[in-house]
Amino acid sequence: MHTIVDRDDDSSSGSATTASRPAQAGSQAVAASSLAGAWRRFAVRRLIGLVTNIILLIFVTFFIVQLIPGDPASAIAGEDASQAQVDQIRVELGLDQPLLLQLGSYVAHVVQGDFGTSFHYKVPALQIVGAAAPYTISIAFTSLVIFLVIGLALGMAVGIITRGDRHRWLDHSFNIGAGVVSSIPAYVQATILVTVFAVWLALLPPAYSPAYSVVQSAILPVAALSIGCIASIARIVRRETSVILEQDYMRTARGWRLGSGTLYAKHMLPNLLTTALTLSGIILTALLGSTLIVEAVFAWPGIGSVVVQAISEYKDYPVIRASVFMIGTISLVFNLLIDVVLGLVDPRTLGDDRG
Amino acid sequence: MLYVGYVMFAVVLLVAVIAPIYYGDSATAMTSTRNSGPTGAFPMGTDGLGRDMLARTLVATRVTVLAAISATLLAALAGISIGVGVWLAPRRVREASLRVIEFWVSYPAMLVAIVVAAILGRGILPAVLAIAVANTAGFARLTANLAAGIASRDYVVTARLMGVPVGRVAARHVVPNMAEPLLILIAQAFAGTLVELAGLSFIGLGAQSPAFDWGSLLNEGVKKIYTNPILVVAPATALIFASMAALFIGDGLAAAANPRSNTSRARMLRAPVPAPASAATPVHSDALLVVDDLSVRHNDSGKELVSHVSFTIDRGEVLGIVGESGSGKSVTASVVAKLLAEGLTASAGRLSLAGADLFDNLSRKDLARRVALVYQDPGTALNPALTLGSQLSDVLVKVLGQKRTEARRNLVERFSEVLLTDPEGRLRQYPHQLSGGMKQRAMIASAMSTNAQLLVADEPTTALDVTVQREVLSLIKRMNKEMGTSVLFISHDLGVVRALCDRVLVMKEGEIVERIDDMAHLSPESVKHPYTRQLLAATPVVHVPGAVTAGSEALR
Repeated sequence: MHTIVDRDDDSSSGSATTASRPAQAGSQAVAASSLAGAWRRFAVRRLIGLVTNIILLIFVTFFIVQLIPGDPASAIAGEDASQAQVDQIRVELGLDQPLLLQLGSYVAHVVQGDFGTSFHYKVPALQIVGAAAPYTISIAFTSLVIFLVIGLALGMAVGIITRGDRHRWLDHSFNIGAGVVSSIPAYVQATILVTVFAVWLALLPPAYSPAYSVVQSAILPVAALSIGCIASIARIVRRETSVILEQDYMRTARGWRLGSGTLYAKHMLPNLLTTALTLSGIILTALLGSTLIVEAVFAWPGIGSVVVQAISEYKDYPVIRASVFMIGTISLVFNLLIDVVLGLVDPRTLGDDRG
Repeated sequence: MLYVGYVMFAVVLLVAVIAPIYYGDSATAMTSTRNSGPTGAFPMGTDGLGRDMLARTLVATRVTVLAAISATLLAALAGISIGVGVWLAPRRVREASLRVIEFWVSYPAMLVAIVVAAILGRGILPAVLAIAVANTAGFARLTANLAAGIASRDYVVTARLMGVPVGRVAARHVVPNMAEPLLILIAQAFAGTLVELAGLSFIGLGAQSPAFDWGSLLNEGVKKIYTNPILVVAPATALIFASMAALFIGDGLAAAANPRSNTSRARMLRAPVPAPASAATPVHSDALLVVDDLSVRHNDSGKELVSHVSFTIDRGEVLGIVGESGSGKSVTASVVAKLLAEGLTASAGRLSLAGADLFDNLSRKDLARRVALVYQDPGTALNPALTLGSQLSDVLVKVLGQKRTEARRNLVERFSEVLLTDPEGRLRQYPHQLSGGMKQRAMIASAMSTNAQLLVADEPTTALDVTVQREVLSLIKRMNKEMGTSVLFISHDLGVVRALCDRVLVMKEGEIVERIDDMAHLSPESVKHPYTRQLLAATPVVHVPGAVTAGSEALR
């Protein structure tokens, strides 16, 4: 079903000879006729991966409380707490039970979406996190799309313009410029953007506020998150572009005397996309991390703000657990999404043993 | 770039050492000048307690950099140990551990850090630990991957077979060989930990008052961004400066590890003074290609790759060029195809193909009509991301102006001519779905489809096994016979050339050392140059089915 390595006189177009062959794990090639099969195996493999990862996430969130040094209950209650308060927390978190029993009951509750009641807000923890999640997802996803599109276009353009050492000055200034921009932490970018666009020019709101529309408030956070990523991916794409331009198949295309439009848009871009998308998975992970911090600059009501407040102010462990679980799940889903797009662009990647 | 990074980093270290000694007092001294903007005394302003922001930023360098270095080293140490441990572990444990490492790596470092901060509480030490834990996975994964690669190398296998204890193998052979990539990762990870640590402080999970680092200073500044924006300048600049230093070092090290050759552009020059046509190349009217006094030079080294080469190809003729690698034969072919590689300059007295001067700006259409190419490695010559039909029809539709359906029909016909089964189906397939021989036949079909006058075949059989070689040779011969295409056939194999060509040039070190016109009577006695004699002695005769040594006979 995978490769059709027929020698020289294969009389069929593939499906007949290959359908009877057992699927081999790890084989990369996907016959056109069995693309549906490749997608099916991809779905099954990724589903198993997703479930495994979520189980691991549940374990990790469980141990956030158990691993607190000393007596978790008194640490959470704080130094001024009375014994009664400490005991109450102990019972609420089930810390008075044997460890395995705690785990069992934790898993049983989490499976039903119950991470416990928030200490501070006195409502289910998942409800608080659930309300914050759309805010985080919207700026992270928008930034993902923006950095992919702009970063790809920019890197490709510079790569093509500087091919074979043309315009060295552009190459150098691009490398330095993109290097500088990508090394500025997102929260510093956010600070700079606020200073310029909110304080000096007073064009955009400095922070999330109901007085402005969500879109208006989202512009600066999204910009702060994407600018660094654009620079990172543009650098990678620029390097990859020059590698691809030296490939044999590009020489073949030049040998066919194709015009530059066809040459770059049709013969180069698909090969570039595969690399760019693969790497954007890694960049995305960093972007999600930055989101958690950048939210603080803009008082953006996302999970980052929720979890930071829960840790530093309220010691609200049910909310911390639910937040970590939610952020982890978002990260998983985003990566899955990228791999699906990757599979659409380049079916060969479906066979990869990733995830 | 690397040295700029080193210098910048040295500055950061110097400040880290010196600043607390000289500015330690002024950084914590409260003055009456509170919330000051930039002034002569306080160029970066003062905070709410009247403390000098510039002094505070400089003093904070020590805490910030020390924390980042500790976190990086902790992560590197733990990660490398885990990585080596994983590699030494039994197979099942290894696979399970690799899964866990993958899980760990796939989450944002900041999330991992937040989890650890939630467990250990706030403070600079928990933050260092948190960032170290978050970055350990990256080191563990790289080490495990590198170890797996190195473990299969011969010298490690040998050492293990000789009974060297596993731990010793790891310490003596495996770890030292990973030094370079690990060093690069350490430099890159330092930039990451610096930003992440400051980030933790920025959101209030790192340094707690009265301790301060760049992150917490920036946080204080952001809170007053409307009233006193100067406060963010010093800590932001410091953060950018330090992380740029780390980035330059990381990038510089990585670039030094994979040097990419610096090439300059290709140029084709007409020789300033047309050289007199040499006696060896009488140009007659039937010549399709005339190459007169061609030299190709490497721009940077000035080395001459091809020196004063002259030859012609008649219409319907098959000319072979034989020589070892580096003899200049492929460079000669690339000049003829007008596809000279970057960094080379060609000059010639005359270079004309089918009545057109190759030094002129020929339109793409004119070139595509004149020359078609077949390359050495069919495995890499086709675009892996496009179907055969899609890429092979481009030249027909977009350059030669055929209609899409017409091009499709043309290709189907050519595919059957080169004996590719199910031509319509093949056109819908991707290159990786075909064998090497099939791909080369598809390339030949493409060359046929443009109906070019000259086929430049650069080692088209080298990457193929012997039976497939023969089929490719007969296809080229057929193309020559039936369509009248002239062929420039490049090979290092005199045996192959002999079975196909009408005439042969032997090249060595950029020069033509022998011209063989009588292929029928080719023997060690009929050639003059000792190098040709060597080549002849080294090549067994290839028998093409139905072929007679005289090249003009049909091969099929």
